[in-house]
Amino acid sequence: MKKIELTREDILHLAKLSSLKLTDQEVEKYCNQLGETVEFVKNLKELKTDVVIPTSQITNLTDVFFTDGETNKRVLTKEKATENAKYKKEKYFVVKRIM
Amino acid sequence: MNLHGKSLLELRQLLTDKKISEKELNLYFLKRIKKYNPKLNAFITVLENNHSGIPYGAKDIFCTKGIRTTAAAKVLDNFIPPYESTVTRKLQEAGMAALGKTNMDAWAHGASTETSDYGVTKNPWDNGRYPGGSSGGSAAAISAYLVSAAIGTDTGGSIRHPSAWCGVIGLKPTYGRVSRYGVIAMGSSWDCPGPMTLTVEDNAYLLKQIAGQDKYDATSSGSAVPDYSNEIKKNKKFKIGIAESYFDGIDDQIKNQVYKAIKVLKKLGHSVKPIKLLPPKYSISVYTILQRAEVSSNLSRYDGVRYGNDRSFFGQEAKRRIMLGTYTLSYGYYDAYYKNAQKVRTIIIENFKSVFKDVDLIVGPNTPVTALKIGEFDKYPFYGELMDQLNEPASTAGIPDLSIPVGLDSHNLPIGFKIMGNYFDEANILNLAYQFEKETDFFGVIKKGIERYKD
Repeated sequence: MKKIELTREDILHLAKLSSLKLTDQEVEKYCNQLGETVEFVKNLKELKTDVVIPTSQITNLTDVFFTDGETNKRVLTKEKATENAKYKKEKYFVVKRIM
Repeated sequence: MNLHGKSLLELRQLLTDKKISEKELNLYFLKRIKKYNPKLNAFITVLENNHSGIPYGAKDIFCTKGIRTTAAAKVLDNFIPPYESTVTRKLQEAGMAALGKTNMDAWAHGASTETSDYGVTKNPWDNGRYPGGSSGGSAAAISAYLVSAAIGTDTGGSIRHPSAWCGVIGLKPTYGRVSRYGVIAMGSSWDCPGPMTLTVEDNAYLLKQIAGQDKYDATSSGSAVPDYSNEIKKNKKFKIGIAESYFDGIDDQIKNQVYKAIKVLKKLGHSVKPIKLLPPKYSISVYTILQRAEVSSNLSRYDGVRYGNDRSFFGQEAKRRIMLGTYTLSYGYYDAYYKNAQKVRTIIIENFKSVFKDVDLIVGPNTPVTALKIGEFDKYPFYGELMDQLNEPASTAGIPDLSIPVGLDSHNLPIGFKIMGNYFDEANILNLAYQFEKETDFFGVIKKGIERYKD
């Protein structure tokens, strides 16, 4: 089997998608480590999966809803929801400028 | 009164009989934590002013209202949850109170507690070794009797693995048996909270308290919760399966103890037969792909805006997992990795289902080796997956699996034994473990562990 190699560019692209800042050393390390892992999981190709239906959840529960009229006690007040934020104005989260 | 080594239910009885007060009980364990935790580092947070309720240890992945919850990650160093997880709330309702939040691998990523941003937990049996993980703090805390019981979470072995390495009893229930609401998410289609205890009765009791449907976790099951404490005492004989593929590459001393335990089961009148299970290596791959994908999605919420610190606070292991998950989910690779792994997950589920038509329970070794020395983590490029290779199949299928101690190796380190059951068949798993406990007292392992840590 051909060894899969992740390039520096691949790693930097993944870091961008994941919103992670990596040092040069980390980039190099992940090139190797991710490549090794990807190599290992190739063993799944030994099994025939053409006609198998994928499993995305194992409980087989469907259409799980709240019963009508039930109250959702999870709701947090604005004060509670914002109490852990480092930057807030009144009861709002402060974020960086987007535009 | 001498409380040393008493089980959770024994302590509860003493409270009911008013032979001790809740305050005395909490002060007793606080004193022990003060004495031994600096050495073991089993707790990240100790609630020193908590003097009421029956004390237990809660893995620091359960949101506890008003009590800092970190998931052992500096990203959440300052996070004070504004709400309570269902599991810890249910335990409160049963008269229990978390005396501390136990250490773990950061975000529950790992099988050593080495990746904790708050330092590694030491194995109570040999302080130079790992307790296993990720619920290593919970396992170490009960093994050294810093609390009589603890709650952990298991995604790919995180309850069973440290239970094996620390010589205690740890149950990963069926996926959906126990609510995940308020548990900091790792792999959402895998995560299972479960009890870790010193006796099977305690385990059955705690499972009963925390199990059941929760309207705040849509994946929790409505299947009826049996009275496990009664179920374990029924006289039952089981058909037990053993898969040869679970013995490949396992340390000889572990194999020997496992065979010895199987002999005990035969002597108790259970029938044992060989079964065919897929080699664990496929579960490792399925787990690696799907769990990393779920991690990359679950950890994407940490931006430092609403709570916690920003993404520059992630440790190495979390970054590695996020990157791999992002890779396998990305355009061009999704079918080859993610979707294919989901298909193999189906194959593994079908494999277990067909085996359970033939047998009631499956037993075998829990870990390939006993506790490794601190620092050896780096020697194994695939450390976590290798250590959990025998645990990941049950996680992949979502079936329940229990780890119990069945002896010590030549280094005096505990050896774990697993009992897997069909979906929602925790009662029979615990029943067999209870029979084994009555017959062998786990060969004295649990008691020996506690005795090392005197009052």
